[in-house]
Amino acid sequence: MTRFVPAQLRPAAFVAALRIRAAPFAAALAIAFGFGLGSSACRQEPTAASVTPALAPTAVAPHAELGFTDESREPVGGEGGTVVRRLTGEPATLDPILQSTGAEAEVLQYVARSLFDFDAGLHLVPGLAQGLDVSADGLDYTIRLRPEAVWEDGSPVTARDAVFTIRRVMDPRVAAPVFKPLFEDCTGVTVVNDRTFKVTFREPYAFRPMAFVLPVVSERRYAGRGSDAKAQARRPLSDGPYRVASWSAQQSIVLERNPHAWGQAGHFDRVVFRIVPDNTTGYRLLASGDVDEDELDSSLKRRAASDPDYAKCCRTVEFYNLDYNYIALNNRSPLFSDARVRRALTMVLDRAAIVRGLYAGSARIISGPWAPDSPAYDPQVEPLPFSPAAAARLLDEAGWVDSDGDGRRDRGGKPFEFDLLVSAGSEVGRQIDEMLASELNRIGVTARVRAVEWAAFVERVDAGTFDAASLGWSAVDPNPDPYFYWDSSQCAPKGLNSGCYSNPAADTLMRAARREMDPKKRLDLFHRLHRLFRDEAPAIFVVNATRKYGFTRRVRGLTTSPLGLFGIWPGPLAWWPATAPAGGAATTPGPAR
Amino acid sequence: MVAGDGARRRGGHDAGARAVTRYVLRRLAFAVPTLFGILLVVFLLVHLAPGSPVSGAPDAGRRLTGRAAEEMRRQYGLDRPLTERFGMWISRVSRLDLGESFVDHRPVAVRIREALPYSLLLNGAALALALGIAVPLGVAAGGRPEGAFDRISGAALFALYCMPSFWVALLLQALFAVRLRWLPLLGVASDAAPGGAAGVLDRLAHLALPATCLAYATLAFVARLVRSGIVEASAGPYVLAARARGVSRRRALWAHALPNALLPLVTLLGLLLPALLSGSVIVEKIFAWPGLGRLYFDSILSRDYPVILALSLLSAAATLAATLASDVAAAAADPRVRDGTVP
Amino acid sequence: MTAAALPAARRPTAPLPASGRVALAAVVALWIVAALSPLFSDRAQAIRLDERLLPPSSSHPFGTDDLGRDLLARVIAATPISLVIGLVSAAVSLGIGFAVGATAGFFGGAVDLVLSRLIEVVLCFPVLFLLLALAALLPPSPLTVVLAIGVTAWPGDARYARAEVLRIRQLDYARAAAAAGASTPRILLRHVLPNALSPLIVSAAFGVGWAILAEAALSFLGVGLPSPAVSWGGILAAAPAYIDEAWWLALFPGIALFVTVSAYNLLAEGLRAATTSQGSNP
Repeated sequence: MTRFVPAQLRPAAFVAALRIRAAPFAAALAIAFGFGLGSSACRQEPTAASVTPALAPTAVAPHAELGFTDESREPVGGEGGTVVRRLTGEPATLDPILQSTGAEAEVLQYVARSLFDFDAGLHLVPGLAQGLDVSADGLDYTIRLRPEAVWEDGSPVTARDAVFTIRRVMDPRVAAPVFKPLFEDCTGVTVVNDRTFKVTFREPYAFRPMAFVLPVVSERRYAGRGSDAKAQARRPLSDGPYRVASWSAQQSIVLERNPHAWGQAGHFDRVVFRIVPDNTTGYRLLASGDVDEDELDSSLKRRAASDPDYAKCCRTVEFYNLDYNYIALNNRSPLFSDARVRRALTMVLDRAAIVRGLYAGSARIISGPWAPDSPAYDPQVEPLPFSPAAAARLLDEAGWVDSDGDGRRDRGGKPFEFDLLVSAGSEVGRQIDEMLASELNRIGVTARVRAVEWAAFVERVDAGTFDAASLGWSAVDPNPDPYFYWDSSQCAPKGLNSGCYSNPAADTLMRAARREMDPKKRLDLFHRLHRLFRDEAPAIFVVNATRKYGFTRRVRGLTTSPLGLFGIWPGPLAWWPATAPAGGAATTPGPAR
Repeated sequence: MVAGDGARRRGGHDAGARAVTRYVLRRLAFAVPTLFGILLVVFLLVHLAPGSPVSGAPDAGRRLTGRAAEEMRRQYGLDRPLTERFGMWISRVSRLDLGESFVDHRPVAVRIREALPYSLLLNGAALALALGIAVPLGVAAGGRPEGAFDRISGAALFALYCMPSFWVALLLQALFAVRLRWLPLLGVASDAAPGGAAGVLDRLAHLALPATCLAYATLAFVARLVRSGIVEASAGPYVLAARARGVSRRRALWAHALPNALLPLVTLLGLLLPALLSGSVIVEKIFAWPGLGRLYFDSILSRDYPVILALSLLSAAATLAATLASDVAAAAADPRVRDGTVP
Repeated sequence: MTAAALPAARRPTAPLPASGRVALAAVVALWIVAALSPLFSDRAQAIRLDERLLPPSSSHPFGTDDLGRDLLARVIAATPISLVIGLVSAAVSLGIGFAVGATAGFFGGAVDLVLSRLIEVVLCFPVLFLLLALAALLPPSPLTVVLAIGVTAWPGDARYARAEVLRIRQLDYARAAAAAGASTPRILLRHVLPNALSPLIVSAAFGVGWAILAEAALSFLGVGLPSPAVSWGGILAAAPAYIDEAWWLALFPGIALFVTVSAYNLLAEGLRAATTSQGSNP
């Protein structure tokens, strides 16, 4: 299973390459943002609303063997019918503000529009909002909503709703894990007029506009406190192309067309989400055509490739996203405070074998806290090589030698042994850890792999009371800002720097980068930071793996991106049925992958 | 036989009934502190375990940390002293208010109500399957003790009893769902569930494997119990007299020996139900059956305190009621039980 | 005739039935395998990613697991920990259970009342919850598992012990000793305990079987022993993810469990048959 050990949270603020057309002393003008990712990721031309990409590291080499799918140019060949999608878990809530899981985000994408969205090229495009003005000092953001945006009961989406939403996100009584951190240094939000509102922050931040990829909720829904808010969680008031028709617990969620839909509509009449936690069953349902879309893990992808039934009915879509695995090290521990030791640990893990063996080649080794498709990643920075001999030498240099001849390294009387925590449900994490433990054992270091139950695991990670822990980063946005996770001022338990990595040079670079408005200078800072992270190895960065999805051939119009198949605009809304009931032209199926 | 017993028994039926009532009342009176004790321990354990509801479910991509997490803990009242929280919960429960789930903020009662029918269906089917096979099996085995059937079935039942339920589940899945494709792998029903007869058949197909996994251990136990009961009853005077009267062997077995053999089974039935309920957690997890067992397990993992406490309360109450019922049945049948001289 | 002159009545024992002897041999064989298992630990830990999930063959009689490790070696290497955990948990459960149950049964009255309530509380406690909570509360280790199983299993032994002690108290020789004026400790030591020994052993044997299953269940659910100390249940825990492609992951560790539990249960049955065959009134 490619289920990562759930990440440390942190959608900090968002990356945007701002092209402020206004002169510093003039009033801010309306902007649309461009955010180029480089030719490998972006096969789509910037949409009309976005400006030329300002951040385009063309040095990122295209990944020829995978690439990204873009069927948006094909003429739409069908309308109507139902698309059946698979969810790996049941949403706990469909209140857009309270969402925390991927399943919830997938469903909400159809019913809750955001102020802005990311498109497949990771540019910010208008959603509910049509424009954003930034003040000269970078503290005030004035957002204008589209006049045609309405709720499913016909009433307009107003600035009052947006202001209410942001206030709700900031309310300490409301558990909004995805959005709350984005508005942590928000000092005020006010209604300017019916369709315009203003948000003020304490300090400027390069990636601030990403905070406005935020769904809006209707104030009226919560006005009658109590029952309405509960209903909102089960059946949210929609402002998107679809609305919730029914939700049968543990089974399925059915969406139907929203009669008051504005803007782009979907091509299916109904969207059915089936809740199927087990991957194998999901695969079966896909192969038999009971679901149209299913996520596959490495072993299922292998099975699909050799299954003749699958080749007839379905195709596989595979791409790299921004998620990655890493093993956090407690830098405060005497074991890991020396960078040489941390480098040694990285060099003792055979990441190439992991890519070959555990991922069947569908993964890339990483050398820093970003996936290769992230804007901050410098492809010139090579990962540390696999060399247990060099690792042993580094450990010797750092003073860890076998002084008492028992086969284990020690220093100052203390043996080199530690607990390597992994969340109990994580197959891949466990496998990687066992490999590391096995290699470490050969050079005289004892690592005990401990599978810890999820809640207890999270508690230890968040408190920083661990030696080493297997974690995964799952990106909800392209923000590469590492400040909250690696800056010395953000140490656990107060902050998210669980390993409490502390390096003044890194701090300087991170703090400068998040203030730097010039995209080229910012990129240069990130590249220098990347090199530093590679050499300092604050954690063991493992791999960035692909996401794999199986689709029946009757669904076309797919577009993938480093953010995934969903979470981008229009994303799933652009999918259309290849065999239309009313005699639409059947297109030739694409190559099976 | 000791002299004192006879004197008690001479009181006759009325005295017996009064004694049973006294026994029941005494047991009920003791059940209350027992229940309280259980709830207290559950409450302590749940709140002392590391982790908190704020950590979210394992599949959550994002969770609250730092200051926001602190605030949330305050919202849930997790910073108040344990005694205060326990008191609040007890007073809530006595008003039949089970609270709201921390995970989706719906009333706990609703979540339990959603899962209950599935649990009842699964456990009911398992019980029916177990009893339906065990009783005839036990009668057949007990009818000819030490015969070929008895030996073979005895060995087979013993083997069944020693198999871990999750192993059996995996093997059944591998054989019937993967290799043979006769039955579905897991779940309650297929999608686009057909209505009518085909729909019922589909649901039965999904029920088959989980119910079997839950039933086989009970089956083994009950079958052996029935068998030894039949053997004992068949040697007794009642059955011998019937046979002497010319009643056929089969009729003697079924109509005369069996009812006597079933008596201890009835008293044990009360204990079987709670055992089924707790045993179903693993089965529900493997077969993705959305019953109470799975709800319990998931709640423990995500530290959903209100749900954990409510389900523990229900489970403890059900077990207490079941043990009480079986003890009462035993007391009604055997005066020595009432007096506490024999457990 | 004084109390001292009364012979201590002992329950006569019959020889172990044939099935019991086979079971005993099996148990001994298992312990021998456990003793020899360190020879296999290297093979059990050798990760070879290019040999993942291979079906049973001559070089890998049980096949390989998801990291390419030989499954036969892993199953053998897991033997000692599974057996020891089972034994120690059963001992803990028995210790607590018999102490509480015998005390309740022997002294009766208020003591019995209070202790019976205690037994009832733990008996009615949701077992799974207790297991999971203990496993989550305490750091994962063999000790935690032993404690968790011992603490949940003892009421069964306690009830059994209480029943046995009550029964023995009713027996003629015990009453005679009491009538002859023997003191309580004397009755306990010379009459009750020796006769309770046999049921104790029987209970222990059953308890081991149950404890081994309980530990396997805990490991299967992910709250059992921490790696590298892996038990059969822990090996089985990885099986559901690969049920489609690697049935051997599910089959062989389960067979090990089954054989062990059967052996102990058969032994217990044999012991019970041997100790109760002469009836209860000597």
